[in-house]
Amino acid sequence: MKLFLFILINLININIYHYQNNDQLYVKIIPLFDNNPIQLSKANKDSISIETLKFYLTDFCLIKSGEVVWKEVNSYHLIDISKPTSLDIFFTNEVKVDFDEIQFLLGTDSLTNVSGAIGGDLDPTKGMYWAWNSGYINFKLEGKQNSKPFQFHIGGYASPYPTVQKIRLKTKKNLNIAFNVADFLNQLNLVNQNKIMSPGKEAQELSEILSSLFYINEKE
Amino acid sequence: MIIILGLFSFFGLAMNLTFKPTPIKIEYPSSWPKPVYNFDNNPLTQEGIDLGRKLFYDPILSIDGPISCSNCHLSYTAFTHVDHPLSHGVNDSIGIRNSPALMNLAWHNSFMWDGAVNHLDVQALAPISHPAEMDEDINNIIRKLIGHSTYRESFYKAFQDSTITGEHLLKAISQFELTLISCNSKYDSVMLKTQVFSMQEERGYELFKKDCSSCHAEPFFTNNQFENNGLPINPILLDLGRYNITKKKTDSLKFKVPTLRNIEFSYPYMHDGRFKSISEVLNHYTNNIKVSNTLSNKLKSEIKLTSNQKVDLTAFLLTLTDKKFLFNKDFSFPLDKYYPDVEKKKKTD
Repeated sequence: MKLFLFILINLININIYHYQNNDQLYVKIIPLFDNNPIQLSKANKDSISIETLKFYLTDFCLIKSGEVVWKEVNSYHLIDISKPTSLDIFFTNEVKVDFDEIQFLLGTDSLTNVSGAIGGDLDPTKGMYWAWNSGYINFKLEGKQNSKPFQFHIGGYASPYPTVQKIRLKTKKNLNIAFNVADFLNQLNLVNQNKIMSPGKEAQELSEILSSLFYINEKE
Repeated sequence: MIIILGLFSFFGLAMNLTFKPTPIKIEYPSSWPKPVYNFDNNPLTQEGIDLGRKLFYDPILSIDGPISCSNCHLSYTAFTHVDHPLSHGVNDSIGIRNSPALMNLAWHNSFMWDGAVNHLDVQALAPISHPAEMDEDINNIIRKLIGHSTYRESFYKAFQDSTITGEHLLKAISQFELTLISCNSKYDSVMLKTQVFSMQEERGYELFKKDCSSCHAEPFFTNNQFENNGLPINPILLDLGRYNITKKKTDSLKFKVPTLRNIEFSYPYMHDGRFKSISEVLNHYTNNIKVSNTLSNKLKSEIKLTSNQKVDLTAFLLTLTDKKFLFNKDFSFPLDKYYPDVEKKKKTD
């Protein structure tokens, strides 16, 4: 029995070893400020500095001619620009399909929000869970403009103001997905609108703006 | 290299196989509906329940460590803070609401007086982080638990993972809370036909069914809904209840209907603990309902009770006392978990 287990585990290890050397399909998230990579806590030309940028991308699937041809199981990814490894999303199962679109959610769906304590990227220790009005913060952006702080904690799953947004991008191969934070801030007036901490109409409007800003980066 | 990895995996697996936690099934009357809580996502085990109980009684959950869950939820008074209108917290702070009694939580689909919390697992996050309660951060609690001599082992036994995570911390607390089932009151025995009501209790039960049960529905004595029960707003607390969560005008002044089980022990009453006795509560419903736009439909026609009827109704309410629940040793401070030596000595003496 022990010998059998020993062989079995070695086989598993060999498989893992082999698997990691394969050309694995992965999504690269590229958060930008204008056309530059974001440097945390460093002011740019508009005197804006970003201190926190964290958001959930979930439910990844690939689409061919309008039909879902592949779906990631347990698809929850917390993107956190202070953790560069979180920007590369490796799919846990192998993908061998042709596709012409990729689809994912910005944020977490309502079922996830009512399912109690969940581990991994959804663990409440990740700073993305609201204790006093249960639910995930789908998108968190904090920083300063001219030393005046702004804080956007965008979340809320309940009707009529759910903030989860479906994003669908056309692509045949390239999975470098960029997103320009400046495009978001430029649509707001940071002097008047610099804070949101609860679900509601405003959170939903901001989530709609955010979801329109993701695109396939053709440069790479 | 691969062989070494294989050896590591083998020993890792062998260690995992050595400990199997003991599964536990909750017991409740067959006439009750199925629990709302999904036990498949958090299967109860004796080890998980023990860990949750230890955490429930451990002030390590609060900043600087003065307050545990049990400070406001005492087992002998149906897990509420008897004689305290409003909850207490760190640095002598006082909250804005009365700490609710805890029981039969597996059948609740919302938590807190305003329903701010949507699942039992994440309920504990609220008091943990509230500045007037435990004022602590879950990451900091985990750091403290890792540094503690016994918790890593307890987490390993409960979840086969010695890495302490937020998920497991919260699920352990849920496991203990899910065992807090009150179903052994005189009322329950009468329903099972193993006991009978006195004449007075029977009269009270009839009044209860007529005037109270639309909100305090059997068998849990709550319909788990939010209602405005006609209390004038407290001018200092200015608490709008459910409105604060939904921001809907129609939810203004609504609070979650509390259970009446063990009401004899869970005073003071109402979301802000304004009434000290059952008779004050009954007088409110018969004489002092404040009519407003959001007043519960069920209170729109007047409740009329003579003083004798109030005595009968009270006699019925006292049949909801469940001594087996209140004095259950499995729910009280786990002395053996904190002081195993003392308990051993007691046994040998």
